[in-house]
Amino acid sequence: MINMTNTILVIILLSVLLSLASNRLSALVRIMALQGVMVSLTPLFLEHHSNLGSGGLIFFQIMILIKGLLIPGLLFMAVRKVSITREIEPLIGYHASLFFGLVCILLSGYITSRLQVSLPAGHELLLITAITTLAAGLFLMMGRTKAITQVIGYLMLENGIYLIGTALTKQSHTLYVVEFGVLLDLLVGVMIMGIILHNINHAFDDVDTTLMRRLKD
Amino acid sequence: MIEFIFLLPMMTGIIALFLPVNLGRGVLVVTALLHLQVCVMGWMGKLEPIFGAFFGRSPEGMLVLLVTSFIFLFIAMYAVSYMAETSMQSEPIFIGCMLLFLGTMSMVALADHLIVLWIAIEATTLVSAPLIFINRSKRALEATWKYVLICSVGIALALLGCFFVTLSMDVAAINVPLTFTSLNAVAERLDPFWLSFGFIFIIIGYGTKMGLAPMHTWLPDAHSEAPSPASALLSGALLNCAFLGVYKFHTLMHLAGLGSFSSNLLIGFGLVSMVVAGIFILRQPDYKRMLAYSSIENMGIIAFGVGIGGIALYGALLHLIHHSLLKSSLFLSSGNILLGFGSKLVALVGGLTRFLPKTAVSFLAGFVGISGLPPFGLFISELCIIFGAFQAGHYLAAIVFIASLVLIVAGMAQIVTDMSFGGGDQVEILVGEGFFRVMPPYVLLAASIILCVWLPDEIYQTIINTISVIGGTIHG
Repeated sequence: MINMTNTILVIILLSVLLSLASNRLSALVRIMALQGVMVSLTPLFLEHHSNLGSGGLIFFQIMILIKGLLIPGLLFMAVRKVSITREIEPLIGYHASLFFGLVCILLSGYITSRLQVSLPAGHELLLITAITTLAAGLFLMMGRTKAITQVIGYLMLENGIYLIGTALTKQSHTLYVVEFGVLLDLLVGVMIMGIILHNINHAFDDVDTTLMRRLKD
Repeated sequence: MIEFIFLLPMMTGIIALFLPVNLGRGVLVVTALLHLQVCVMGWMGKLEPIFGAFFGRSPEGMLVLLVTSFIFLFIAMYAVSYMAETSMQSEPIFIGCMLLFLGTMSMVALADHLIVLWIAIEATTLVSAPLIFINRSKRALEATWKYVLICSVGIALALLGCFFVTLSMDVAAINVPLTFTSLNAVAERLDPFWLSFGFIFIIIGYGTKMGLAPMHTWLPDAHSEAPSPASALLSGALLNCAFLGVYKFHTLMHLAGLGSFSSNLLIGFGLVSMVVAGIFILRQPDYKRMLAYSSIENMGIIAFGVGIGGIALYGALLHLIHHSLLKSSLFLSSGNILLGFGSKLVALVGGLTRFLPKTAVSFLAGFVGISGLPPFGLFISELCIIFGAFQAGHYLAAIVFIASLVLIVAGMAQIVTDMSFGGGDQVEILVGEGFFRVMPPYVLLAASIILCVWLPDEIYQTIINTISVIGGTIHG
């Protein structure tokens, strides 16, 4: 039997690498939708999470809805509104970005083996994926100039943090009400960023953050 | 039900988004009044938490809550008059977001659960973003974008820190609710490695929001580009809330026996913030940015004082109260100057004493206060911190501390005297001084003077209760 958790984690890793190499914004949003769904599914296949109550099931459904549908939908709208399809001039090239992603996987493997947390069997890959996703998210925020790619980088960072949370902590500590609050913050955050994005596009005729150089000392 | 303290402004805030302008202004002031009343009731112990798993009354939280509620009332009065003068584009959004901002900040003050605290702090970022870009100018948009992005990433790292703190519980095989109350009780048994590791992320995360250097880059932009009432709230109230996040985890570290580690981090960040603020405040061409850098400095002072501990800790909490009062007063005065002269550049402002005499007095008095001179409260608090630093044997740190204070006072003094007495060829004042835009800065200044000579027993006792947990005393 194929190990479901590992399959999902590999898909997440591939989505991270794809997002580092892709220059089309709409493709990037689709990748984020896939990644969001996969990240929401991950806890369901972990052993110590297997006994879910009805509250848990509802929560995970909402989570898939928000991460897989609502947030990508908002991003899609933003991409269409600003009518930009490509990231033209990345600060760091796509091949270099891809290489960075691969180095990240290696490094996270090293970190995971050094941490010596008594992880349940099979969780090594989870932690590797989580750290890679987090680092790649930070990288996207710094290495790309379009404001919308930075939002996507932020989302990826959040996905990574969520994965670290599921990898490290036991389910008994997580109350769904609280997790729902975190999710709501994320959703509203993307909404607010979308509104600012729209205004930036309106005021600067572009969403390129290199145009924003007015405020400095 | 203590949750009412934050539910009230949240509900009225959402309603105010849909109200016509005049009604909305009324709602703003009435809610501010009611909030202060409910907050005082909370202080008197009349309100008990319903969701005890998430919220509770902690002395440090109640202190921040009272300060926030008090300054919000006067900022709300100012805002009403300010909005009438500036014909703001989307006023209902401004009013609604101000109230939501008050609600989320109250939630921070009352949160007892680790993640609920995180949710509330992230929510303050989100609801305050519209306050900054309300004018939709290019500069405001840039400031908001930086604010939202840098703070969101910072706070995301704090969430990571919270997970590590949870892990420190799992590793030690402790199973208690994830609240500060219960964690403090079992602090000694928590795994020290993961707790310290988590604290690093938390101080970086919440420190970003608090404006500690080198994560402060968003702060001067956001605080200077926001409309003045919003700047006053950001500086006077929001920074305290972020500090509360750091402080609660510092308490946990201290109880876990890792106090020296977190103290040293706080002292380090505090001193770096003060030095950075001192460097950037010299020859600062924009007076609102000058005030913003002064906020970074004061947050540095508070972090430094908390790190030193002992009597400096008492000084730090006093500093928090007085800084909120004085800085919000200064931002409100600077709002009057901005309305009058139509520019944020020091070079274009001159002769305040002639053109805006009442504002000139409050601006100068605020400057005297923020410089740490008597009769304002920062005099006592800074003295306590310096005294504590020498007593604890941090001689070098204390010298850097005093040197940066001197640097900042010198830098600000030049700017403030230029503005107050300097040339000033412009004789035409765009907007004069209205009563409701002059009174709030004066009241806030007066409050600082009064609290300096007479600290009510309840407040004193609350400060003592807060600091006694981590070994702070007032008996040097």
